[in-house]
Amino acid sequence: MKKLNFEPVITAEKEASLRHEVRAFLAEYGEFKTSDLIDSWSVCDTEFSRAIAAKGWLGMTWPTEYGGGGKSYLERYVVIEELLAAGAPVGAHWVADRQSGPLLLRFGTEEQRQAFLPKVVKGECFFAIGMSEPNSGSDLASIKTKAEKVDGGWLVNGSKIWTSWAHACHQMITLVRTAPPSDNRHAGLSQFIVDLSAEGMTVRPIVTLAGEKHFNEIFFDNVFVPDNRVVGNLNEGWSQVMAELAFERSGPERFLSSYQLLEASIKEIREAGLTKQSSKVIGEFVARLMVLRQMSLSVANQLQEGKLPINEASVVKDLGTSFEQELPEAMRLILDVEPSSSAEDGVERMLSDAILKAPSFSLRGGTREILRGIIARGLGLR
Amino acid sequence: MSELAVLIEESATRLFEGFADSDAHVMMEAGEFPEKLWADFLADGWLRTMLSEDNEGAGLGLAGGMLLMRLAGYHNVPLPVVESLTGLYLAAEAGLDLDDELLIPVVLSTIDNNNKKIKLCNVPWARNAKAIVVAFEADGQTQLVQINVDQFDLVKGNNMAGEPRDNVSFNASLLVAAKPLNNISIEQILSWLALGRAAQMAGALRSVLERTVEYANERSQFGRQIGKFQAVQLQLAVQAEMTSASICAVDAAIRHLGTTEEWELIASAKITTSESAGYAAKTAHAVHAAIGFTQEYPLQLSTRRLWSWRDEYGSETQWSAKLGEHCLQLKTDNLWSWLTTQTGS
Repeated sequence: MKKLNFEPVITAEKEASLRHEVRAFLAEYGEFKTSDLIDSWSVCDTEFSRAIAAKGWLGMTWPTEYGGGGKSYLERYVVIEELLAAGAPVGAHWVADRQSGPLLLRFGTEEQRQAFLPKVVKGECFFAIGMSEPNSGSDLASIKTKAEKVDGGWLVNGSKIWTSWAHACHQMITLVRTAPPSDNRHAGLSQFIVDLSAEGMTVRPIVTLAGEKHFNEIFFDNVFVPDNRVVGNLNEGWSQVMAELAFERSGPERFLSSYQLLEASIKEIREAGLTKQSSKVIGEFVARLMVLRQMSLSVANQLQEGKLPINEASVVKDLGTSFEQELPEAMRLILDVEPSSSAEDGVERMLSDAILKAPSFSLRGGTREILRGIIARGLGLR
Repeated sequence: MSELAVLIEESATRLFEGFADSDAHVMMEAGEFPEKLWADFLADGWLRTMLSEDNEGAGLGLAGGMLLMRLAGYHNVPLPVVESLTGLYLAAEAGLDLDDELLIPVVLSTIDNNNKKIKLCNVPWARNAKAIVVAFEADGQTQLVQINVDQFDLVKGNNMAGEPRDNVSFNASLLVAAKPLNNISIEQILSWLALGRAAQMAGALRSVLERTVEYANERSQFGRQIGKFQAVQLQLAVQAEMTSASICAVDAAIRHLGTTEEWELIASAKITTSESAGYAAKTAHAVHAAIGFTQEYPLQLSTRRLWSWRDEYGSETQWSAKLGEHCLQLKTDNLWSWLTTQTGS
């Protein structure tokens, strides 16, 4: 049984001053639309992304030689949690900053890093995730999109689905089969950097039940990918994807997606004089949030130390998405309002958004069942 | 783990493991005080863990004491570890005479001046104490008074784990002998006791998880280990999540002892551990099935403690209400600015 490690972290003054810098920037930037506050990391606003790029808040932890900030994971943590808690629209650059950049730093070639990282840092290059397929969701190793070797590169055929912002992004880290399936089903997969404007790509939008238009299905028809766009080692894509997950699963976006509803609810409770019957529920959620922050910070600190705490990241994501999903359920029971999808403002609109968007919280980035399977393996049960 | 935690774990583990091999639990539940264990505990100097070196203590402070309590919870130590350490610490702070006797701390939140008798419910281990040390507030000043065993009446009782929880009463006139306890509020004492219980629970939760995973890997049904069934794995994964959240919450609260945000983190630790206790006990018993439901199998030593401790020094409901009320009356712009400055890190 591998012990789960969540050694608490105490952040320093350096992080505190950075926190105030982010708050000052947000105060000056102006208010965000109420309808964008819930799950704001699925909201794409390229102008906002460029504004924070100008502040040096993209690629913060990356080496300065690629235009990065050379900062610590804790400093990045402070910046992203401030942005998320404020409901800032960080969706455009989110994937590039969180996982594609770190992936290239870990496994990419020098040429790839030089080609993409400086542009990501400037908010000029956004990445999408090309993992799921119509017949491969949780069972990622069963993907069918395949690449055939041709002179100078690869020809890709197949499709990807649930790709957020593929129509606004420039590149996609795409998992493809480069060797036929064998007894080891995790073998023969590779990661490609695919230019989303390449010839042979078709992007078809899919509207979510909440009316959002970020999902897409992408079709590859003999799309040529040059050899120098293979990430890391050919046929070892699976272990690279697993390494990506420690970054993807442990951040504060895994429990702050509906956070703005908590702030709005507290305001509403105070104004409507509902303190007495609400305090227990508010206290319970605040306590959970406090612990989640400690756990997520601890993982950030372990990433800083060069570790890959994949099991711990799974714990943060499972507990975190439960928190952000249960929050609207609990708030609707103490607030004296009915959710409204037509309201432009107010807690009734935020309740509606949170309830409608919540199902996706525990699906994206690995479902509950997958995460619990990973944790069970760490316990020595599998 | 912090260096302090490693130091304490290395030195106290052998002692506590030895306790598990004794018949002390049976003795305790039969109403006898485990004298031999207590003597060993004293001989190793653990009672003075939190005292400063000026007071012939180990100088490990409240944090060191809490880490010892967590380890005691892991090993189901049938001694008043939380109470004895805290009682002595308060006595030292109030300048009372110190010896290696058992002092049980009690917080009196309100005093009814019309009542000549002070009645206290569920006082841990009172029957075995030399005295109870009662903290209360008078004229805005915290006071501490030592009420010796011959000065109070006692009705025996116990919690679900068979740990002594006695009802005690004494003459209100005895309060006048109190001495001032400077720079410590009664809320603080109550929160330290709550953190002590939370620390014990974090230890017990870890022990229950380890025992249950081990059992799931040993026990076979339908031709394979029950831990291989997905339905079992998913439950144990959640138990592991809640256990690590509990350990993290307690660790964070211990790290922030002595800071202004101390009580908020303690509240979060007591809420998290108390909530996890029920889920862990339920799951552990489901996985163990009938054997876990027996007295001879040691799982019950941890689960009966978890069921008792989650309500002692404030249940998750009481602490949530207190924390929530505080959050609904914040003077800061919003919850977030409070959360990021007042709750550690």
